Amino acid sequence: MPDTNFEPKIIGFFCNWCTYAGADLAGVSRLQYPPNIRVIRVMCSGTVSPHHVLRAFQKGADGVLIGGCHIGDCHYLRGNFMTIKRMRFLQDLLKFTGCEPGRLHLEWISAAEGPKFAETVRNFTEKIRKLGPSRLKLAVRAA
Amino acid sequence: MNKLREKVRNLLKEGKVAGYVGYMMRDSHPLPHFFTKERLEEVDQAIAAPDNARYPLDKLLQQVASRYPEETFAIQVRGCDERGLNELYKWGQLDPEKVVLVGVACNQAQADYCECPGPWTSVIDYGEKCQPVMKSRRVAQIEALGEEEAFKEWLGAFQKCIKCYGCRDVCPMCFCKECSLEHPELMSTGLVPPDTIFQLVRAIHMAGRCIDCGLCEENCPADIPLRVLYKKANEIVKDLFGYEMGVPESGPSPWKMLGEESTLETKPM
Repeated sequence: MPDTNFEPKIIGFFCNWCTYAGADLAGVSRLQYPPNIRVIRVMCSGTVSPHHVLRAFQKGADGVLIGGCHIGDCHYLRGNFMTIKRMRFLQDLLKFTGCEPGRLHLEWISAAEGPKFAETVRNFTEKIRKLGPSRLKLAVRAA
Repeated sequence: MNKLREKVRNLLKEGKVAGYVGYMMRDSHPLPHFFTKERLEEVDQAIAAPDNARYPLDKLLQQVASRYPEETFAIQVRGCDERGLNELYKWGQLDPEKVVLVGVACNQAQADYCECPGPWTSVIDYGEKCQPVMKSRRVAQIEALGEEEAFKEWLGAFQKCIKCYGCRDVCPMCFCKECSLEHPELMSTGLVPPDTIFQLVRAIHMAGRCIDCGLCEENCPADIPLRVLYKKANEIVKDLFGYEMGVPESGPSPWKMLGEESTLETKPM
């Protein structure tokens, strides 16, 4: 039976220097975005290991959004080089195993991009809402 | 076989190596054996491992070498074992100056079974070069499935896992002292089958590192097609970063360094 009251659960890993500050700006600018996202602040998006993403999916997240500084703007100079390597790899691996790679999204959002932050969260939430509950989550629940 | 024995005998006799990690027939089983100068007569029974006898000699060598870091050792290698040594050099687990290769080329049947892209070694002391298999049929089979079908396929396999850690324990590339598969913050404990992500986590660690020796799959009591997963992980790493595992010329692993520039683009939502 399809879940008509499905509310996506989304985990956000946001870098302290850019995206988290962008979220802050979206807040003080009173921009509206859905409350489905649970934010975890990290010092650099490069600290987000694929383990954390997979763990989130395992624990029932329907989507994972990673936010970091634009390439070249990293507070630690090149931390986000690793972020994109990891996430692009993980997306391809999820695709191969049929784990819906679209549920993992990486976006560069600077501290000045409050509107972009709100829009990204809005779009991502809607996308996940359309996709429905994660295949992995349903399999875990059924087991 | 004589050429191989002769080489080993000379290496040991001349003191070029302190020992040789190879195979010997014992009680009609081909088993790994550590040959030394003190028991030189054993070299007469040294063999090139037959196809179905495969052990993680690279792993045994790591143990010996860490115990005797000053000594040089010889080791029997196939194509996969040599790739493994090259990766281990890159990860600082072995010193290339202290390893002497005794190379064995695999035959066609073995190469076809493994879908091996490089079934020979840089030095061949036994056997002859055969045709490599450049494209894995098993990976293509999964790719041909739809995403939902692929998920069903993998889920079915993952749920057979009895969490014996056999894949990790036999793996010559798994040298970490602490393992994320046993980390209670990253993986649920006390569950069989384990978390669905268990094999995916291992696949991440194998990406660009798996030498495609296939011991994990042969060791797996649940017959999970691990090799297919790791072959694909390697393929992705090659496509994204141009990094080829086990090749000295391809430089350090992309996971080991940030890189001077970043050319990858984020995927559109």
